Amino acid sequence: MGRLLSYGGLALAASLFLAPIAFMIVGSLKPDERVLLDAGSMAAFVPEGASLQNYRDVLARVPFARYLLNSALISSMIVAGGLAVNSLAGYAFSRIRWRGRDPLFALVPAIMVIPLEAIAVPLFYQVTLFGWRDTYVVQILPFVANAFSIYLFYTFFLGLPRELEEAARMDGAGALRTFLWVVVPNSRPVFTTAAILTFLTQWGAFLWPLMVTSAERVRPLPLAVSTFYSLPPLQWGDIFAFGVMMVAPILGVFLVFQRWFVRGVVTTGIKG
Amino acid sequence: MTDSIQRRSGPLFAAPALLGLVVFVAVPFALAVVLAFTNLRLGSPLPTEFVGAEQFRRIFAEPAFVRALLNNTLFALVVVPLQTLLALALALLLHQRLKGRAFFRTLFFAPVVFPLSLVAVVWVLIYAPGPEGMMNGFLRAVTFGAWIPRDFLRDPVLALPAIMLTSIWQGAGFQMVILLAGLQGIPGELYEAAAMDGAGRWGQFQHVTLPQLRNTLSFTVLVTSILAFRLFDQVQIMTRGGPRNATTTVMFEAVQASFGRQQVAKGAAMTVVLFLVVLAITGVQRWVARQGREVG
Amino acid sequence: MLSNYVLALLLAFVLLGCEQQQPPGAVPHLSVWAHAGQAAERKVLEKQVQRFNVQQDDLRLDLTFIPERTYNAQVQAAAIAGDLPDLLELDGPYIANYAWQGHLVTLDDLLSRAIRADLLPSIVAQGTYRDRLYGVGAFDSGLALYARRDVLDQAEIRIPQHPRGAWTRDEFDALLLSLRDSDEDGAVLDLKLNYPDEWFSYAFSPLIQSAGGDLVRRDDYQSAQGALNSRGAVLAMTALQGWMQQGLVDPNLDDAAFVSGRVALSWAGHWDYPRYKDALGDALALVPLPDFGKGTRTGQGSWVWSITRKCSDPEGAVRFVEFLLQPAEILAITETNGAVPATRSAIALSPAYREGGPLHLFVTQLAEGYAVPRPQTPAYPVISSAFRRAFADIRSGAPVRQVLDDAVVLIDQDIRDNQGYAPVEDP
Repeated sequence: MGRLLSYGGLALAASLFLAPIAFMIVGSLKPDERVLLDAGSMAAFVPEGASLQNYRDVLARVPFARYLLNSALISSMIVAGGLAVNSLAGYAFSRIRWRGRDPLFALVPAIMVIPLEAIAVPLFYQVTLFGWRDTYVVQILPFVANAFSIYLFYTFFLGLPRELEEAARMDGAGALRTFLWVVVPNSRPVFTTAAILTFLTQWGAFLWPLMVTSAERVRPLPLAVSTFYSLPPLQWGDIFAFGVMMVAPILGVFLVFQRWFVRGVVTTGIKG
Repeated sequence: MTDSIQRRSGPLFAAPALLGLVVFVAVPFALAVVLAFTNLRLGSPLPTEFVGAEQFRRIFAEPAFVRALLNNTLFALVVVPLQTLLALALALLLHQRLKGRAFFRTLFFAPVVFPLSLVAVVWVLIYAPGPEGMMNGFLRAVTFGAWIPRDFLRDPVLALPAIMLTSIWQGAGFQMVILLAGLQGIPGELYEAAAMDGAGRWGQFQHVTLPQLRNTLSFTVLVTSILAFRLFDQVQIMTRGGPRNATTTVMFEAVQASFGRQQVAKGAAMTVVLFLVVLAITGVQRWVARQGREVG
Repeated sequence: MLSNYVLALLLAFVLLGCEQQQPPGAVPHLSVWAHAGQAAERKVLEKQVQRFNVQQDDLRLDLTFIPERTYNAQVQAAAIAGDLPDLLELDGPYIANYAWQGHLVTLDDLLSRAIRADLLPSIVAQGTYRDRLYGVGAFDSGLALYARRDVLDQAEIRIPQHPRGAWTRDEFDALLLSLRDSDEDGAVLDLKLNYPDEWFSYAFSPLIQSAGGDLVRRDDYQSAQGALNSRGAVLAMTALQGWMQQGLVDPNLDDAAFVSGRVALSWAGHWDYPRYKDALGDALALVPLPDFGKGTRTGQGSWVWSITRKCSDPEGAVRFVEFLLQPAEILAITETNGAVPATRSAIALSPAYREGGPLHLFVTQLAEGYAVPRPQTPAYPVISSAFRRAFADIRSGAPVRQVLDDAVVLIDQDIRDNQGYAPVEDP
């Protein structure tokens, strides 16, 4: 009986969660006029007259491949750089005793609180000063160092058994060697977690790229949506098709990595 | 490996990240704080001057900003508990050994993967006024025709709840995954012990699940609260702060001031206030968590 | 394996970065920015740039399109960063602000007299700030009511042919109600409520002006008090609010209320003409906006070409602008976007706009003083922003007088903050 209730609850929740997504996917397959017309009834979920025309329209109206490449490049570089830089810092804070460590580490949670929007304008003036507008660098570099990631690595490394490092030390390995060859291979879950979280956040970045870029050749996907919104007449089918194309890659990535992600959260000790 | 080599590697390892944080976060923020005391206008050829606390005085005299603070607070007070409860319920449901667990888990997490701007665009259609809107259609079906179609995003009473629903839809999955991980970390023996003491399902929940989940819960509550005060994308796309400031938020007002009206200093003052509020809340929550840890 | 992947990424990064460098050449390049309009419009401009590049050897123009919705924000950001192009389009009413900021070069000495004399007076008015010309457009805009002739005929509503005969306020109210009686969902008017930002100031300030009010006091541009919250303004906005609250206005989320037949009237601009013409053919009528007391008023102003201080070759840039102002080139653009040609010689050649053409109403409005430019003041961005917010609140049912008063406070405070927008340096 309890099991039935559980399934029932899950099914209800699932249908409510799924509805907007299904609406988007089905809508992307319909001609534009029907999207709005059908929205009020179950017809919203029935792909009558389904075709890939909207997808073709999107590819014709917007250099989608370019935007996709830009998004992929920028997000990947932020993730790659971040994994390197933040893990090293997290390790330094959790496993090495050095002068100034504790006061410097107190900065980290304080910085976690500062939202991007609060520093967007001064940062804008700053990068303008550096002459970084309309580049990839300006969309990557400011986001490589990340207080939340540092904290994540810090907590995880705290929980690593010391024997591994001690064994390496007895073999005469230096700090860097220990880190690279002993700690990192045993920390796959936290690296995966940090990678996925950072990637998700950066894939949808909108405000910052809007402020610092105007050239299409460096702009990421979320800005392409604004291109759609400004060209009347509004074609909802196209917008939905764009949405599907934008989300599909990350959903794919998540599906592949999700098992590692959940395990990552457990042993990272976010819970504790 | 000697101790001194180890010691030297500490600052070396931490340096790149710390440098990045200082250059790209700490310095701009310090700059923002300074700007909040000036009258800097975007692009203006007039010289910039220090005006003391004038910007702060002004923003608190503006009904839009005060309403924004109120809306953010209201938003946090409603969304945080609701979303957490929903996430907890889903996590509990998925914690049991049910078939298709992975499918449901992915499904509930899927909205998190959507960029907020895209979510907003889809929900604008869902909230379309008149019978063509999906939400109107849904409510009409559920109330057997008793529901009168409404223009949600332009209704002074329904607009903010509409945005709340969108946010909950988008954020619950993330909290759920973390809570699920927390649940999976609770040792089974604790439940067995409680059962042997005569505790039923509810008792086990109260005395085993909740206390063990305390840290996870407080972490997700903290993150969700911080995000609630940063609310911007949905407002920008769905309601533009309307109707009559019913959905405006601090970040929306700040961006409007800085970019819509070229009043950068005023925008900076608003974000400084935001930072202080968030810092205060974070402080309070961590204090509460610490108290709990000491007692429990 | 991971390292290979990283290497590949780095390589891609480097290659893409290299793409940005320009090969050194002898011919000077001028950078040009334009708004990304409809696909057809963009193609025309691209071809025009190509033609210009090919027909002379002194200059090469590099054209970049910027999305329309965020166009002004981008330009402003670039202006601060010192990154403006040599030549760019600006949305007409924003010229004053950029001129005041000191970014623009005056065209008075650069533009040929002959061309200047041929321009419609509205074009010159739009590009002028403090008696100096800072921008010239190849076309102007037209704003009016599109109507379904057959529906109006059936309801026995007269169709005015000239701005003099525009519907009066009472007539307009009555005809809305009578149209509603035979309409399925009760919504008979499309106000393009789905349009983004700048539309509201453009489309509805004429109604305020027709009622005797204005967005700001134009004697010295120092205050909106007594203009935006005058009796006329309150009258006009209350009427608008009434129409919306009574359900007479279609929300138009799909931008198809008029073409699909849901409404009989569409308050729209020239850019909708091609689509409307396709859908309705001969049943399409063009009618001036209603007269709320002082005569019908309508909007004007569109994209304008300006030369920035950064430009190394202003004479060259002006040659391109003059190229665009040749009748054939003007008609090339206006035939795709339906806008009003900027020069009288081009108008005479345009089948749609010349005397007797279906869109001649737009020309009449622009040439005979029925069109009012949006306030040519650096305060315009704030005015537009304040008005837009006021409109949204009025749409939701807020008390009109109070909303307008609040907008006036906002505008006046900004003007004071900027010391009245007095000129800072002599351009």
